[in-house]
Amino acid sequence: MADYDRRGGDRGGGGYSRKRRYNRADDDDQDRGDRRGGPRRRFNEPPPHVRVRRQLIGIAENPMRPWHEEVQGIASLMCDNYDDTLLRDNFVNLCLQVALEQPLKTPFVAAVVLLVNTNKSELVERLLSRLTEAIEERIGQGEWRDVKLYLKLLGCLQSCLEGDGVFPVLEELFARAVDLQTASSEDTIGTELVKIILLTIPYIMATASGDAAQKAADLMDKTDIIASEPHALQTLIDPYHAGAGEESSTSSLIGLLQKQLQHEAGKGWELKCIPRPLTFPNEDIELQSRLDEAKKHVLPVIKVPEAVVAGPRPLFPEVYFSVYSDQDVESVPPTTDIAASLIRDALLDGINVLDFNRNAVARNLIEVDCYFAAKTFTARATPFDRLRDIELGRSTWKPEDVAVDAVFSQLLQLPGPEHKLVYYHSVLTEACKQAPAAIAPSLGRAIRFLYRNSPRMDLELVYRFMDWFSHHLSNFGFTWKWIEWVEDVSLPDLDPSKAFIMGAIDKEIRLSFAQRIKNTLPEPYQQLISADKEKDVPDFKYATDDFPFAAEGRELASLLRKKGAEDEIQAIIEKIHADALDRNLDPLVTSTDVFVTAVLHMGSKTLSHVLAAIERNKDRLLNVGAASDAAREQILQSTIDYWAAHPGVAITIVQKMLNYNILAPQTVTRWALTTTAGKTAGDALAQTHIYELVFNTVLKVSSRVRATVSAPPAAQDRDSDAVMDSSFDADQEAEIKAMRDLFRAMEDALVPWANGSKDEMIEGEFGNGDGKSERDALVKRWGARWLRVFRRRAAIEEAFVQEAGKKREAALAALAAAPAEPNAEPEKNGDESLDIIE
Amino acid sequence: MVMVRNTVDRLDKPSAYFNAAGKRRHQQHNRRDEEEDKPQEPIDDPLKDATTLYVGNLSFYTTEEQVYELFSKCGEIKRLIMGLDRFNKTPCGFCFVEYYTHQDALDCMKYIGGTKLDERIIRTDLDPGFEEGRQYGRGKSGGQVRDEYREDYDEGRGGLGRAIQQEQRLRETERRDVDEGDYGRLK
Repeated sequence: MADYDRRGGDRGGGGYSRKRRYNRADDDDQDRGDRRGGPRRRFNEPPPHVRVRRQLIGIAENPMRPWHEEVQGIASLMCDNYDDTLLRDNFVNLCLQVALEQPLKTPFVAAVVLLVNTNKSELVERLLSRLTEAIEERIGQGEWRDVKLYLKLLGCLQSCLEGDGVFPVLEELFARAVDLQTASSEDTIGTELVKIILLTIPYIMATASGDAAQKAADLMDKTDIIASEPHALQTLIDPYHAGAGEESSTSSLIGLLQKQLQHEAGKGWELKCIPRPLTFPNEDIELQSRLDEAKKHVLPVIKVPEAVVAGPRPLFPEVYFSVYSDQDVESVPPTTDIAASLIRDALLDGINVLDFNRNAVARNLIEVDCYFAAKTFTARATPFDRLRDIELGRSTWKPEDVAVDAVFSQLLQLPGPEHKLVYYHSVLTEACKQAPAAIAPSLGRAIRFLYRNSPRMDLELVYRFMDWFSHHLSNFGFTWKWIEWVEDVSLPDLDPSKAFIMGAIDKEIRLSFAQRIKNTLPEPYQQLISADKEKDVPDFKYATDDFPFAAEGRELASLLRKKGAEDEIQAIIEKIHADALDRNLDPLVTSTDVFVTAVLHMGSKTLSHVLAAIERNKDRLLNVGAASDAAREQILQSTIDYWAAHPGVAITIVQKMLNYNILAPQTVTRWALTTTAGKTAGDALAQTHIYELVFNTVLKVSSRVRATVSAPPAAQDRDSDAVMDSSFDADQEAEIKAMRDLFRAMEDALVPWANGSKDEMIEGEFGNGDGKSERDALVKRWGARWLRVFRRRAAIEEAFVQEAGKKREAALAALAAAPAEPNAEPEKNGDESLDIIE
Repeated sequence: MVMVRNTVDRLDKPSAYFNAAGKRRHQQHNRRDEEEDKPQEPIDDPLKDATTLYVGNLSFYTTEEQVYELFSKCGEIKRLIMGLDRFNKTPCGFCFVEYYTHQDALDCMKYIGGTKLDERIIRTDLDPGFEEGRQYGRGKSGGQVRDEYREDYDEGRGGLGRAIQQEQRLRETERRDVDEGDYGRLK
């Protein structure tokens, strides 16, 4: 028996033994021999609990097998072996686990449970008690997705529940939502609760009978107030960045749900897309009546605490986003149809829960049509152009479009999806690998949609799209029909489409190399890849005497290479200082350029080389930065200049310089938003690598702050002289203040760009007349887009700090109440964050 | 809490690669590989806080910069050590990537392992941590073992297996001791 268990995957418990493996191979041979010789197999069937597990996990995966047969098979396997305690125990847990991990399968699992109820209702009794316990527990932890997934299972079991079944639970949850929403318009838990309620109702209604429709109507009357009101934070998370005077048309997820449900109620709860595995062919009236007569259970009371919590993940209102929304033929459910929300929701949970196996996720996506009612979708891999030929009244929804759409909704979710963005990249890569003929064309149309709409999209999302696009292409031989966008190559660099093209090509090159990418591009694009990009090592500008201080530059480089003595280096630097003074230049800035360029040149071979070179000259660089802000900016400027052809390298070096404190975060933002944007009269704002540099820097600061403020307070903190009016200690306060200062400085730098009051724009010598006003409009738009991204960041980080402050206060209060524990956790997180700075 | 087996396998399990390596060894009777000294069925799991990944099947031409570009998508890289031919000191198709956190390393297993870098499917495995000396290939000729006897022509990894390429040359210089130090001096 243990043997079967191990087959599932991990060969845990000491199974690694060569001898045994050989034996097993022998067994297999014999097995085959036996079969030839006679019908008896040497191995018996796996025991029932293994078979039930396998069948339940794989439920509905095989499209050739009728659902009713499959669920009946499992149910009778269950009931026939009911005496097997292992089987019984496993079954209850497994049902709950499948509901959490593979929510697409929940309606099928529920069908099995309902069938089991006709025979062994005590098992269902147990399941319900476990399920309600689990729901209660997750509500307490604020694990709202788990609550939703368990409620979905419970909703599917409505027909075996006494009285109102699940409705009282939903009403209880709604009562909390009302309290929260009345208390604060920025509340997000209440919004989440309403979402859960609205997404549970359809599953109840799909199997319910009696006066459920009235119950649902009553509940929806109540949710309407919360669902129809746009959330205070919604503008913050809108994927589209409306220009001045434009109205955003994005609707909130719960607003849509509410309307879709009302629409569905009007049609008598048809709920066409929800699978009904318990619909039997006509002759099986007997089974149907047994189902109707099966025991009804009283649902154990689920206690919802007075104060519900947000849980481990910060909650935000959500919007419904689709990359197939503007097509002449519907390839995905329209937003008026409840199917849009139900399918999306089930797919998203599947994607986000199973992040530990992207292969399984991709397969579920490709096979999405297995888990919804027949005729919900058109045949897999139907070309988009053929959708037009589908006769009226039949579905034109392409399963792969629906699947791809779901992944993009996460990739492009604001403020951010649950997992790292690269996870969603990997899901799309995997799906494309598993079913290229079906998925690739859908991705192509998604790419075109996003490219077309990128000018009106939030800048952060355009960057995410670009990052995914280049990464995706790197997995598929860098093939893309670039020729489609060829007209945009001649646009000015400030144009968002052109900026996208240039950014994407640069990112492709970073994952590959210039010559390779050049070969994948049509001729007009090739001029975008400068000859410098094809050089492995950038030119050393002091190699010839074209630049001032070239001799000193060469001398410094050779000294550095020979690991010359500090005073020799100092001597050259002083010589530069003297010459610079004669030429009326800032001496330190001048010498810094020469010195940094020499250091970078010495380390030009690989990143390891340059990091070692910086490490070795760290003290001098630190002193330079400490002496003058201008010189510190010059360190950054020289780095960007030296690696101009390979901005990716520059960005990595700058990251490390930030870690060493050679550069400060404000150095980067000031250099980008004031100095460089100023020098280029705003052009820099359209350059992807500048955005990336600033974004990464801000991210670095905010994740440091997050780590610092989330550290649990140590015992000594409670009676330390904490800063007044704050639950944070002085170090934490300093970090928080630094972050706030950074955001404020960015705001101050960006506002003039966004409203066109920047001196460089007013005095600009670039173009005049119509050309100038067009250019100004573009620059203003870039300024506004940057501003939106970093204002949102600032708001989100501020909210995080506030939340952490509350948690810390509570923890401090608890510490104060409890006697000091001798072995309290040391400040582990604090140390870690130090580690990152090093 | 009891560990519950997931309904689908996990891609971030450290043992997955070891099992695969075990199978491979079993099938091909390869004697050694650079991951040979992986702990077998660890009692106190040395990988439970691992922040380092072994990355395999790189092209010899893949640069540090390319590795940074891809692997930074899972978190900031603390350290990158390129695997080198122990004689030529040139890249020989593997590296160690060290992150700041265990979670980043796990995410890398899940999201980057098995995808392409420089147009090759790369392999990642959790690693107990880099130690001096492990950056060098352990094959006879200085590179990785698997590039010794490889019968397929792999352009990104120096063509045919080196041992096969070397056969002739070795035959010519038969009197020489087949000391692995020799290959580095052959020219």
